[in-house]
Amino acid sequence: METLEPPDDELVRRTQAGDARAFDELVVRFSPRLYGLVYHMTASHEDTNDLLQDIFSKAYRSIKGFQGKSSFYTWMHTISVNMAINFLKKRNRKKTMSLDDVDNGILNDPDFIEATSHGDPSREVNLGELQKKLNESMLKLSHDHRAVVTMFDIQGMPHAEIAKVLKISEGTVRSRLFYAHRQLQNYLQEFINK
Amino acid sequence: MDNEDSITKLLRLKRYEQPSEEYFQSFLAEFQTRQRSEVIHRPLLQIAWDRFSSMFAMPPVPKLVMASSFAAAVFAAVFVLNWADDGTSNATFATASGTAKWDSKARSAQGQKSPAVQYVLPARPVSYASARSF
Repeated sequence: METLEPPDDELVRRTQAGDARAFDELVVRFSPRLYGLVYHMTASHEDTNDLLQDIFSKAYRSIKGFQGKSSFYTWMHTISVNMAINFLKKRNRKKTMSLDDVDNGILNDPDFIEATSHGDPSREVNLGELQKKLNESMLKLSHDHRAVVTMFDIQGMPHAEIAKVLKISEGTVRSRLFYAHRQLQNYLQEFINK
Repeated sequence: MDNEDSITKLLRLKRYEQPSEEYFQSFLAEFQTRQRSEVIHRPLLQIAWDRFSSMFAMPPVPKLVMASSFAAAVFAAVFVLNWADDGTSNATFATASGTAKWDSKARSAQGQKSPAVQYVLPARPVSYASARSF
């Protein structure tokens, strides 16, 4: 019989009451998702690790001020995006990720096969090439556009949720996505279906 | 629109760029270690400030309660001030008909030491000279 996991709100209340273990639970619960968010914005595993530690530290320090006006999920995403953007503003150099860090599951993904073969099975599936191009094109986007693309395209968040996280209107989210996609189309032309 | 979909499909492939599960297991341990070291290496000034601010820390109170208590405090302050004022200048509340009564009371209370303060203008002008009109 499975034990029911306590909801986020309860863990937040317990943390606010001084239960550090409840916050540990929140770290375990949120770190994979927030890792993805920060990583796709910084394009560096090393920076993501440090930044994520800082994000959880900041959240822990300010959790007493969390009044529950938004969900804890939205609150954490807002902290993460803001800290990632501040970090990127300070970081002048643009890093690229190490190419051996990809889950092998990508090789079986139909979208990956489609993108790399163009319907021609004889063409060699080149994971490195696609990954390099994807990262380069992401890094060419502005920080704000990259945040929206990360949350919508990579993490699959709905427009309304992104609007809450970034404290902007849904219209602005859609507009940023439109311009970001147009920019990405130019960079990724060779992988887009013809 | 097809291009939009293709871009989204391509970008979704980036979801595979995740570290292994062991990483997330060790992440928590690293977080706890960092937190402990933060507590140990916190500057004295920050510790002092935290203690100072916690002395004045207020529990979260809803805005409505805050507003109504503020209004009650203001009302109480006005009431107390008026009540204290009554001993010396209760003529404030005098009506035109009761002016003389209040004045005599005030004079007797003050033992004729100083002329009574007149708050209500008399019906007749101070000068008895007839008003001229041009």
